[in-house]
Amino acid sequence: MPDQPGSQSPPPPAAPESPARPEGHSHGGPGGPGGPRREGHSGGGGPRREGGGPGGPRRGGKRQYFRKKKVCRFCVDHVDFIDYKKADQLQAFVQERGKILPRRMTGTCSRHQRWLGEAIKRARNIALLPFATEL
Amino acid sequence: MDERIYDLIFICRPATPEEEVNKIVTTLEHSAGEHGGKIEKTERWGTRRLAYRVAKHREGFFVYMVIKGTQGDLIKELERRLKVNDAVIKYQTIRLDEELKRQQKLSKHRERRAARRPRKPAPGAPPQPQQQQVPASPAE
Repeated sequence: MPDQPGSQSPPPPAAPESPARPEGHSHGGPGGPGGPRREGHSGGGGPRREGGGPGGPRRGGKRQYFRKKKVCRFCVDHVDFIDYKKADQLQAFVQERGKILPRRMTGTCSRHQRWLGEAIKRARNIALLPFATEL
Repeated sequence: MDERIYDLIFICRPATPEEEVNKIVTTLEHSAGEHGGKIEKTERWGTRRLAYRVAKHREGFFVYMVIKGTQGDLIKELERRLKVNDAVIKYQTIRLDEELKRQQKLSKHRERRAARRPRKPAPGAPPQPQQQQVPASPAE
């Protein structure tokens, strides 16, 4: 580990810079773009998160990034019943260590997440899915 | 009484001979019949890797069954038999009829909606502003 920073000295400084830039624009806008933004948005908390979403595009592409809207995969496929026996399909909604992935990660709708959680728990019970992977 | 549908999965030790598994299946069928139930389907999934260690085994022979019955005693009896058997290391019974009913209801509902949808755009486009979806889709 100690060798790597020494040998790869050019990349590490470059890497922190790039994530820092969008942050600087969105948060620390007080100098230039921050002023007009605050007027537009009623709350100061809005622009911090994606709350700036609707306002962003109007202002001529000031927004640095926007998140693609995730769609529930089960709704797209019109799934009415999530089968606990198909462990390989449930695997996609489970972390490496066996935790159930939250909705905000997978985009699953609340109804399907509920069914999914139930299916995963059933699959765990009969050893099709792990409760926690031992290392 | 309503008829209930259950899923029953049990896992045998990987070293269990085939005849032993067959014997378990036939005894289950027999005792299901005694309690007014019926085994609709039996699937042998074969030896599979277990997601975690069960009774010091990493693999197990999976057998999956679909059972129809009306009395709760049926499942009690089947589970008792599985518990007594030394070859069986894990079993799980799940009552599924209510979920299947829900599934049928939802898919029926969807079919009905899908059947209704094609009629709407033709006559409904000018006079019916009830649904927002109808004007939105041509605009896009």
